Amino acid sequence: MSGVSMVGVTKMYGQVKALDHVSIDVCEGELLALLGPSGCGKTTLLRCVAGLERPDRGTVEIGDADMTAVPTRDRPIGMVFQSYALFPNLTVRQNIAFPLEVRHRPRTEVSARVDELLELVHLTSQADRYPKQISGGQAQRCALGRALAPNPQVLLLDEPLSALDALVRGRLRDEIRRIQQLVGITAIYVTHDQSEAMAIADRVAVMNAGRVEQIAAPADLYEMPATQFSAKFVGSRNAVELAVLDGKVGIPGSFHIDAPGGSNGHALAFFRPEDVQVSRGNTGPGMDARVELKVFLGATTRLHLVGEADGQPIAIFGDLPSRQARLIDEGEMVRVDVDPDHVHAFPI
Amino acid sequence: MAVDAARDGVRSRAPARERLRAGGRISRAARYLFFGAVLGYFCIPMAAVLIYSFATRWTANVLPDGYTLDWWQATVSNPRIQSAFSTSMALATLTAFIDIAVVVPAAYWSRVRNARIRHVIEVAAAVPFALPYVVIAFGLMQFSGVVAPQFQGTFVLLVAGHAAIAFPFVYWAVDGAMAAAGIERLSETAEACGASPMQIVRLVVIPNISSGLVTGGLLSFAASFGEFAMAQIIGRGLDTVPLWSAEMIRSYSDTAGSYNRLAVVTLLTFAVLFVLSAVVVYWNRGQTVRLLPGAGASDEGGRR
Repeated sequence: MSGVSMVGVTKMYGQVKALDHVSIDVCEGELLALLGPSGCGKTTLLRCVAGLERPDRGTVEIGDADMTAVPTRDRPIGMVFQSYALFPNLTVRQNIAFPLEVRHRPRTEVSARVDELLELVHLTSQADRYPKQISGGQAQRCALGRALAPNPQVLLLDEPLSALDALVRGRLRDEIRRIQQLVGITAIYVTHDQSEAMAIADRVAVMNAGRVEQIAAPADLYEMPATQFSAKFVGSRNAVELAVLDGKVGIPGSFHIDAPGGSNGHALAFFRPEDVQVSRGNTGPGMDARVELKVFLGATTRLHLVGEADGQPIAIFGDLPSRQARLIDEGEMVRVDVDPDHVHAFPI
Repeated sequence: MAVDAARDGVRSRAPARERLRAGGRISRAARYLFFGAVLGYFCIPMAAVLIYSFATRWTANVLPDGYTLDWWQATVSNPRIQSAFSTSMALATLTAFIDIAVVVPAAYWSRVRNARIRHVIEVAAAVPFALPYVVIAFGLMQFSGVVAPQFQGTFVLLVAGHAAIAFPFVYWAVDGAMAAAGIERLSETAEACGASPMQIVRLVVIPNISSGLVTGGLLSFAASFGEFAMAQIIGRGLDTVPLWSAEMIRSYSDTAGSYNRLAVVTLLTFAVLFVLSAVVVYWNRGQTVRLLPGAGASDEGGRR
């Protein structure tokens, strides 16, 4: 067993609770993404697993061993930082060899292992270059090789792609995933980018204000946000404030669903723009709305729609296939319908 | 449309660039003049000292009456000067090494482990500039008189005194180099790679701040080599180059040729420091060392 389990991890910075009783189990061989806005505690949690921060309360276990009091250098971890953090005085080869050298491994073993890793991260031809002579993507692959060199049980990645440009980012993301699966190593991946988290992770832990909001597989998280924060943070959603009437919330002519427990007069309904159906004229199902603006996004076109519910104007985004949206003009009156199965309501 | 606008932009910027270039041409002459003035300001006194060291008699004319190698020969073979020179060399070398040995761990600790000691170090680094050396020297003498009277007037006490006043030079050079290298980040990385604290200092910190070490070492060496007030007060009985020089200046009327010998020693001192500076410049080629206090204190390695 070489998963990671964090139990009740709490970390205070003065009066601020950076982590508030966080408990997460990462299974063996799994890649878990910690997703959240900056300041949500995701990096602090990763640093607690690495031992670079000491939690005030709670424990961190790697495999079956309690690591809470173990210094960083004795933990079976490999770490990749956002800023690469390669040693500028060492070549790519020497950087990858570093964790082995400090452990005094025999020279032949070091050299064989480094060759193997250079191949794994495709840096064999750059092996004798210095960090400032290689690109950002190559630097991060070198950092990945260095992190994996001592055969750690857990790979920790702290926003490894944030410093790279968009094209390299996508490619390296898939590369990291390929290598992680090939090696079969347990990994924790910190990111603030939801699409990155969903693309790479087996499971995503959404964090907010030092707490875990939801842990779910990417598809489940996308379809069924458990909390208002998850709904807001993952996927771009419509958030519409609606009045609760007879225990129901809804948009007249479209959906009516049971109001969430604890709602007090009003509720917040979330649904995604691609679940909004738009039909021309006033014959189709749904609510009357006016097309305020059309934004062409390529395959889809986003319509900014304004309708009325309970005497209040409500604004909704609807995504349509662009070919279909071509037929609709700005200023036109349309019918807007939302599938109730895709609406998630939360109390305000 | 957009292309036209861009082209217009280029066209309207071009004359400005022309003007700038013209301005550069005018000021080029001024720049050479200024450079020449600075060069003369530095070189003419050195040249005068150089000529004086070879002069038989230099009183009435623009150039000396005659030239001789006697002063050089007499000075270099004079046992007292030899001893003063070696004392000063030993003093300055020890001062530089002690300061590096003390400052590097302290600066590292203040950056990586405990940012609070940073204020203490910075205040301590300002003291040698806030107080005249004479005052510090007198304080040290009083203090050592109470704590360790047997060290008074010894080389050891003078080394300790020089290490105390010269350490800010090392601190600023080393701290600047640590900021430039992003040492906190590298240190954490090394820790995550399994390195022990000693390995981190040896394999990661030292190689990445070498420019700061060399610069700081040279500055503290120079500060100690030329220091007079403290050597005068707590180094009684010792002979250092500045003490010997002061004596030569005072004794002009007594001994003929003391100024000429002073010129020789001045040139030797200059040569030592010049060679060391050249080594530093060569060592640090292509690297910038920030010497200002707190330089880059807030940049977390810059690349973040």
